Amino acid sequence: MAELSQWVYDTPAKKTKRKWRIWEMTSYAYILPLLVILIGFYVIPIVMSFALSFTKYNIMQPPTYIGAKNYMKLFTDETFIKSIQNTFLFMICVVPIQTIGALLMAVWLTAWKRSWLARFVQSVMFIPVISSMILIGIVWRILLNGDTSPLNMVVDWLGFAPDWLGDSDIALFTLMGISIWKNIGYFMVLYIAGLMEIPAVYHEAAKVDGANIFQEFFAITIPCLRKTTVLVVFLGIIWSFQIFDLVYTLTGGGPGNATMTMVVHIFNLNFKQFNTGYAMTVANVLFLINATFVIVQKRFLKSDS
Amino acid sequence: MILKKKKMKITVTIIGYVVLLLIACIMVVPFLYMFLTSLKVTYSAYNFKFSLDELTLANYVQIIEEKEFIKYFLNSTIIAVSGVIISVVFSSLAGFAFAQKQFYGKEHIFLFMLATLIIPSTVTMLPLYIIMRQLDWLNTFYALILPIPTAMGVFLMRQAMLGIPRELIEAARIDGCSDLRIFIQIVLPLVKPAIITLTIFTFIGAWNEFLWPLIATTDGTVRTLTVGLSTMRSQYTVNYGLVMAGATLTFLPSFIIYMVLQSKFIEGVTLSGVKG
Repeated sequence: MAELSQWVYDTPAKKTKRKWRIWEMTSYAYILPLLVILIGFYVIPIVMSFALSFTKYNIMQPPTYIGAKNYMKLFTDETFIKSIQNTFLFMICVVPIQTIGALLMAVWLTAWKRSWLARFVQSVMFIPVISSMILIGIVWRILLNGDTSPLNMVVDWLGFAPDWLGDSDIALFTLMGISIWKNIGYFMVLYIAGLMEIPAVYHEAAKVDGANIFQEFFAITIPCLRKTTVLVVFLGIIWSFQIFDLVYTLTGGGPGNATMTMVVHIFNLNFKQFNTGYAMTVANVLFLINATFVIVQKRFLKSDS
Repeated sequence: MILKKKKMKITVTIIGYVVLLLIACIMVVPFLYMFLTSLKVTYSAYNFKFSLDELTLANYVQIIEEKEFIKYFLNSTIIAVSGVIISVVFSSLAGFAFAQKQFYGKEHIFLFMLATLIIPSTVTMLPLYIIMRQLDWLNTFYALILPIPTAMGVFLMRQAMLGIPRELIEAARIDGCSDLRIFIQIVLPLVKPAIITLTIFTFIGAWNEFLWPLIATTDGTVRTLTVGLSTMRSQYTVNYGLVMAGATLTFLPSFIIYMVLQSKFIEGVTLSGVKG
């Protein structure tokens, strides 16, 4: 009530000022809901993850402090070492192939965009992107499982019929192939968007100067797409470290530890071995790797502008 | 000479077409296989013979009669739709404040929100599980819906709302328009494209999410389609037709959205790409 009477007697100038204050103060109400969610479901968990990694903890019993023991354990945990190796191998193989593949497809489809087939291929390449990894895992598992899988019936006449998922030398590469198949459409669309931003004058100038397609590609297209390439490469790296669904449905990390990845290891440590404290230690390593790549990416983009 | 060049061009074009066709096949065949297998009751993955009179909807009938599947489908729908709603509402509210208002600590709070994008959900899942367990929210919709919004949404909405001229909003305020009315009647209609983009990506993300629902649902009450599908696969190891019918129905919503709003996807990828 006092507020209201104050309001009536205020001068117009003061009124405007008050209104401005209300306008300002309500800002906090506007950001609060999202802030609560982000703090509750991102910030608090990462703090918990850090704190609990110094404890022996299994959800059922309260945590006990054990210092850096969990971190020392990383160096002797063969499954962890294998999962790191697998993840890096995955990244080293997948990122270049999908980056170059996406770039070439984008340039090709953009050049041919008047042809219906090129437009069709562009739409079709995005279909795996929108579908769930679980669904893809289930379908590919049926296509690949065993010696007499449907795919093997097709490649049989080429003279080889590998056990795509059961052979420990091949399984990881099979996963790489499926991962590229799923994601390449996404990266290609990023490149297509990047290509549309290159001013047409550049290409015209190159033609006037008598450059052939290859010179044009290396002297104009690639440098102009630098920003997109940074994005595609780093997203590819970050996604490589997060891989879980595909492994879970296709191999479960096996045979042996042949396709073990960091996230699968974290999952198993917590839900099969009930070693939550140590699972969080591995998760923190994953977080550090992720953060490092994000920061390096920011540096790359900054040095651009 | 010119003729030779022309001939070569035609050859290159033909080879190009063949390669494109091959790529299209590689992309589509697994989905086609999924769909065609779902229409057969031969219980075999290796039977490639399709004749029109052999095709049947029996798998779909069986899967729909099974109450579990329908429940999972509804759960997934409820989760994805609610996730979209809270994502859009919260992100646009916050985006409005960040884009059009002045308040103490604005830049810092915004950067703080963006910084949460660096934290992968694979890292937060275990602590989140502990939190939800403590709150007694496991096997409830809260656990599955509330963590859906990310800072990506507020980034998108702020970006779109920065483009609204300040004069427009000031004019409305001078006319005595309340804060909330400005937001609903002036700002939201102007950022429709960003809302559509956020809606599509949140929906598909939530619909396809697997790891968190797998952890947060220990029984069937709020289990999602992706988790249900994965358990179904181990349940019916031989009945490929039934599993493929389930997979096809899981795929359908995303596919329909994609078919209807294809151009929005390209836009959305570009927008989410520039976040950097």
